[in-house]
Parts: sequence; structure tokens; C-alpha cells
Amino acid sequence: MANESVMNEAIAMPGGVHAEPGMQVYNQKLGMWVFLASEVMFFTGLIGAYIILRFGAGDWALPGIPLEEGGTPLNINLTAINTFMLICSSVTMVKAFAAIEHGDQKGLRRFLLLTVLLGASFVGIQIYEYMELVHEGFMPRCSDELAAIVPNCHLFGSTFYTMTGFHGTHVSLGVVALIWVTVKAFRGQYSKENHGGVEVVGLYWHFVDLVWIMLFTIVYLI
Amino acid sequence: MATAEATMGGMAHAHHEEQSFIRSYIFATDHKIIGIQFLFASLFFLLVGGIMALLIRWQLGFPGQAVPFGDPISPKSYNALVTMHGTIMVFFALMPMVMGVFANYLIPLKLGAPDMAFPRLNMLSFWMFVSSGTVAMASLYVEGGAAGAGWTAYPPLSGAAQYSGVSLGQQLWIVSLILFGASSLLGSVNYITTVINMRAPGMTLFRMPLSIWSLFITAILALLAVPIIAAAAIMLLFDQTIGTTFFLPADGGQPLLWQHLFWFFGHPEVYILILPAMGIVSDILANGSRKPIFGYHSMVYAIITIAFLGWIVWGHHMFQSGMNPLLGTTFMISTMAIAIPSAIKVFNWLGTMWRGNLQFHTPMLWAIGFVSLFTIGGLSGIFMASASVDIFIHDTYFIVAHIHYVLFGGTLMASFAGIYFWFPKMFGRMMSERLGKIHFFLTFILYNLAFFPMHLLGMGGHMRRIADPTQYEFLRPLQPLNQFISVSVFLLFLAQIPFVINFFTSLFKGEQAPLNPWKDNGLEWTVPSPPPHGNFETTPTVYHGPYEFSSPLVEEDFLPQNAPLNGGERKAATVGAGAGE
Amino acid sequence: MASVENKKKPNYYLIWFLLFALTMVEVGLAYVSNLPRNFLILILLSLAIWKAVLVAMYYMHLKYERLRLILLATAPIPLAIILVLGVLLEYAR
Repeated sequence: MANESVMNEAIAMPGGVHAEPGMQVYNQKLGMWVFLASEVMFFTGLIGAYIILRFGAGDWALPGIPLEEGGTPLNINLTAINTFMLICSSVTMVKAFAAIEHGDQKGLRRFLLLTVLLGASFVGIQIYEYMELVHEGFMPRCSDELAAIVPNCHLFGSTFYTMTGFHGTHVSLGVVALIWVTVKAFRGQYSKENHGGVEVVGLYWHFVDLVWIMLFTIVYLI
Repeated sequence: MATAEATMGGMAHAHHEEQSFIRSYIFATDHKIIGIQFLFASLFFLLVGGIMALLIRWQLGFPGQAVPFGDPISPKSYNALVTMHGTIMVFFALMPMVMGVFANYLIPLKLGAPDMAFPRLNMLSFWMFVSSGTVAMASLYVEGGAAGAGWTAYPPLSGAAQYSGVSLGQQLWIVSLILFGASSLLGSVNYITTVINMRAPGMTLFRMPLSIWSLFITAILALLAVPIIAAAAIMLLFDQTIGTTFFLPADGGQPLLWQHLFWFFGHPEVYILILPAMGIVSDILANGSRKPIFGYHSMVYAIITIAFLGWIVWGHHMFQSGMNPLLGTTFMISTMAIAIPSAIKVFNWLGTMWRGNLQFHTPMLWAIGFVSLFTIGGLSGIFMASASVDIFIHDTYFIVAHIHYVLFGGTLMASFAGIYFWFPKMFGRMMSERLGKIHFFLTFILYNLAFFPMHLLGMGGHMRRIADPTQYEFLRPLQPLNQFISVSVFLLFLAQIPFVINFFTSLFKGEQAPLNPWKDNGLEWTVPSPPPHGNFETTPTVYHGPYEFSSPLVEEDFLPQNAPLNGGERKAATVGAGAGE
Repeated sequence: MASVENKKKPNYYLIWFLLFALTMVEVGLAYVSNLPRNFLILILLSLAIWKAVLVAMYYMHLKYERLRLILLATAPIPLAIILVLGVLLEYAR
């Protein structure tokens, strides 16, 4: 497949013919969208469980109220900044894709690197936040001291760490995939005709950002 | 070999003769080999699950008596047996049979594609399945014993070792389920992409065989349902291990949440198990009747409708959970509604056979057996759909009868039909018809002797999952029925011996299979048995649907999909099909 | 044959600004606690969904794809709603 583009809408089959028209995007892109549909369901399971558990629990630690008065132990301001950073990484990702669509190798590399940095920073800040929370006694099972102040602390801890932890894992895997793609970009392995890998990783990355947009609101702000 | 390179998925097929044995047969990326790998794995787990069934029936028929050459079965062991029998049969025998064997083997071949869209992902899917099965088997031997909370693993029993007495066994059960889910997801991504994007020219969606339609819709169900059980299983595992409180009521958790999550997956899961079976049976019934399938379009719409409705019936597994009666009513209505498309399919199968030139070859016998037994299973389902009836029969042997009619009488019999039908293509050899018929008749008769009485047990109030029914006075009069069932099950197990002999001797000594032994229309019958790597030297062109049997326009009573009707300068169907000459 | 998205290109920076502004509004609203609770939840969820839709439509280019891909991508959403709403009905009096 050396010179042929892998981004054809018409799928090539042996014998020089094209497949019966299907989704009319190349296989890897279709595969990624199909996979993302399953990921939506996965996060639905986790976030849905949170919504249901919280709805049935009654009292909950709300934002804007001090911790001592039963307010949220979460650091909303720091996470808001983190959220913005992840959104920025989505911009750099789509700019990288736009660059290679025009054959701009420099732009591709620059924006991919930025995306990797922003993504890694998100994970780093999240880990820092976890450490702070654990120090306060906020864990999948809360410390006794915190459980005395924060209503339904154990439930909150259970759901918080599971949702954000799995999201963070998805981000981390995304960063690994991005590094892979960035290395290939620096080796000049993408071109205007052939950059499916960039698009497909980009789709995954935007999805991860999208999930966070929902998570941040539902878990931190509501 | 073929010089044309396939450019999908970035794979090139230029020099495959040089692949090592390990690359070709162990870490295979060829969908046909992977399908056969799944076949051997499924049959193995079928055996394991079957042995567990024998032990269960031994205890039920002769409570407290030592197993021959062994010890009596303790209540804890009984719980583990019941749990693992269900788990292994559903996840490690039947799911891989329909989604691993038939989806893998048939989809590219019947669509005219050289392989799946993502062959390496396919390989990963198989080996993840193997690892999940290994973990499940390992759980049988760990300290504390295997999981014993039922295949449905309801918390709080499953959520804390202090309740069930099982710790590592339950955790490994959960881990194996998660691994299995991942394997299943990867498979679904492959099947969906391949069916959408890699059909040969002329193979429009409404020219696809029903086996492929059902496998396609099933893959979509699996794609969207499996992640829910994965999420739920993760939460259960955390409850068991790191002190979270999702399902444990003491700190605000909700046991009922597990039931909702499990069955939101669990109901589409059972349609995942039955739809491919229906599709396979449709193909084989048309072939054995030498007639087009009756109502092809309505069959497709029925599959889609069943899949749609399957998402909104999950509560019928929970009528006894104390849920809101309004919710219960909506589930009752949707559950009864889903009987309609299923019934349409049954009538269409009958319509297919009506006045057909019936060929009672072994696959056809199994397919007809499927129709009758699935119908019985479906009818019992209508009783269960009524919430007021279900109050009485929930968690009794009536349910067990239903499950087994649709899964054994349904899915397993369809799987046997499929194995007998496609064995010649897979292995290049014919199976023995005589042994096949013996296998069928023994199984059919003994199956009904074993499982029909369970409806009566259930109506008599015999509950599920109890180790010793004789401990209840009101059940003692039913004990002879239990014994009768147990003996029937033992004989049913033995009735599989002809199949084992047939399968393995035919592998090595079976008669050489011709290209198209069943005179079928599918594209897989136009390539050698077994097909070469890459399947088709050049991609076929499809001219019509898959059920052109006994067409008045053609001399032969079948017409392969790639055979043009009026000859022309196009290539005729390949050697041996002989259509339209 | 290159993909469809070559023909139309959204202003990625404009979307970025919109996402930033919406996030600021959300955080601000979360701190202002004198709104009726249910109303606040509704607004916050709507804003979050708006942001998510922006990312899906413009960064993932769904707006420029064929309808069938949009259907595929959005297929899980009704299921998610059915699951959550269905179970929440358990609490209905």
C-alpha cells in the first residue's frame, strides 16, 4: 500500500474493484467511530450509576460551600483550569489535523507536540489533585474524619474515583497513542494524501475531551 | 498466489506461504483460522459446562449421595456449580460459538471479502477470549472456591466475601467477565466495520444472507450492551476489593442498581445469543427446502425490531424485585410486544418449508428442530412476560425450562446445524450423515424428556438454585420428576458421543468435500474447501439475493449469488456451480 | 479521493473561545447558589451538552459527515437516556 492513500471513501478490494458503498469513510475511521459508540455506553454505565446513586442518596456535598459545613472536598478552580487545558489540547489536535490536510508537516509536528504536552499536563494535574484529596481523607472509601463531615462521603468517593480514574486512564492511553503518532509525524510518515492515523487518534482525543466536559459539569459543578 | 493486494487495514497478502506455523495457526490473523480456533474453544467449554450440568443433576436427582468415584456435593459447591455452569455456557460456550465462530467464519466469505477489516484486532480478540476463559477456569481452583452467587452475581451476596464465603473466586469471575467483554467489543468493531464497508460489488444490504444480517445486528447489540456490564462489573470488583460502596447498602449503595445494570446488558445479551441462531437457521432452511426464504424483507425488519425492542424489556427479569409497578407494567407491555417479530420469523420459517422440495440432510434436521424448540421456548416466554404470572413462576424451574429451550433447543441446536453445514467448507471433508442423524434424533428426544418436565416442576413451585429440594415437604412429591430429568440429562450427555466421534474422525478420515456439497447459493461455496488465504482470487460480483432456489429461470434448483442470470461475457459462477448453463 | 472535510472548515479558534466562555459561565453559575436547585442543574447540564455538541460537530467534524455516520455516532444516546431515566423511575412516588 506504499503509494496508495488509505483515506479513500471507496474501499479497495482484491482484483482492482471497489467495495459496495458502505459508510463511505475508510475502515480505520469507521472502526474508531464504532469503538467510540461503545465508549459512550461505557461512560454511560459509570456516570449513570453516579446519577442514580446520588439521586437516591439524599444529602450531598455541594460546590461553593466550605468543607467544614458539608461542602465539596473537590478543588473546583484547579479542575476548571484543567478542563480548559484539555479543551486547548482539542484545539491543538484539530489544528494538527488541519495542518496535514494541507500538507503542512511543520504545523502537524508543532501542534501534535503541543497536544501531547497539554494532555500529559492534564493527567499530571489530575494526579496532583488525587494526592491532595487523599491527603484530606477523600478516597474510594473515605477516612472516618472526613466521613463525619461530608455527607455520603463513601458513595461520593467511590463514584468520583471510578469515573475520573477511568477517564484519566483513557486520557493516558490517548497520550501514548499521540506520542506514537507524533513520532511518526517527525519521521515524515504522514502526507496530505495519507494521514488517517492523525485523524483517527484525533477522533479518540476529542472524544476523551467530550467525556470530560460532561464529567466536569456533572461531578464537580452540580 | 494472488498478485492483487488488499489495501484495507494496511495489510498486504503477497507472501503468505512463508509464514511459520505459529503465525499461521496460533497467532493467526486469518478470520477462518480464528473462527476454527473459537470453534475448538467453544466445544471445549461446552464439555466443561456439560460436566457441571451432570453434577448439578446428580445432586438434584439424588440429593446428598456421593458422586460416583467421588464425594457428595456440598451446598457451597452446588452454588459454585450452578454459577459456573451458567457462566461457562453463556459466555464461554455459546457467545463464542455465535460471535466467535460463525461471525468470524462467515462474514468475510459470504460478503465476498478477503478477510475482516482488522485482522490483527481479530487475533487480539481471540487471545483475550482465551485469557478470560483461563481466568474463569482458574477461579475453580482458588482458595474459597469458585464464585457461587449465580451467573447473575447479585450483590450484596456477590459484593462481599463475608456474605458468600467466596473471595478470590468471585473476583476472578468478575475479572474474566471484564476480559471477555473486551474481547467481545473488539470482535463487534470488526464485524460491524466489515459488514458496512467490505461487501463485494453488487452485495447490497438487502442481498445479504440472513445469517449475515443477524450477525451484523447482533454485533451492534453487543457493541452497545457489553460496556454496561463492563462498567457494572468494575464497580462490583471495586466493592469487593477496595472498599467502595456502589452496591452495598450499609454506606448508601444500591443492590438494585446492579440488577438494573446487569439486565440492561443481560436482555440484549440473550438476543445476541438467539439472533445469529435464527439467521443460520434461515439460511439452512431455505437450502433444505430448495425455496427462497419466505418474506426476506420482513425477516430483516423482524431482526431489527427484536433488536430495538430488546433494549426496553430488561425489567421483566426484575418483576419480583419490588420495583415501581408503573415501571413493571411498561416492561410487561414491551416484553409481550417483542413476541410479535419473533412469531413473524417462526411463521416465515414454516412458510419457507411449506411445499418445499425438502432435503432432510443433517443440518436441515437441526434447523427444523430449532424451529420447534425455539417456539416452545418463546411460548413459555409469553407466560413469563405477564407480571402477575411471573410473581408465581419467577426463580422457579419454569424459568430454567424456558432458558434451556431457547439456549439449548435454540442456540445450541442452530450451532450444531451450522457446524454440520459448514464443516465441509471449513475442513474440506464431509461429516458422516448417519452419525449426524443419530446425534440429532437422540439429542432431540432426550432433550425434550429432560427439559419439558421442568415446566411442571416450576409450576409446582420448585425453586431455582437450591441444592436439596427434598428439604421442602411440598417438593417431595416432585422428586421422581427430578430423578427422571436427571437420568434424561445423563443420557443426553452420552448422546453427544456420536457427534464427538463424527467430528474428530471426519476431520482426518472424512470423505473429501466437493466445492458445494449442499448446492447452496452463498459466496463461500464458490471457493475451494477450505478456502485459501484471501478467500477469493478476485472479488466476486454479486447479481442477486442469496435465496434463489428453484428459480424458474434456471435449470438447476439453485443459483449462486455471483452467477449472472443470462451468461454474458462475464465470468460465470466458478467451477462446479454449473448455474444457467 | 480526499475526504469531505477539505471543502468546509470551521473556525476552530472561534469554537475554542465559545467553549472557554461557556466553561466560565458554568463555573460562575455553580458558585452562585441562590438559583433554585433544579433550575440550576438544568442550565448546567444544557451548557455542558452544548459544549459537547460543539466538540462533536466541529472538532470531530460530524457536521460535515454523512447522515449515516451521524446516526452511528449518536445511536448510544437514546439508550443512555432510557437506562438512566428508566432506573430513576424507581424513585417515582
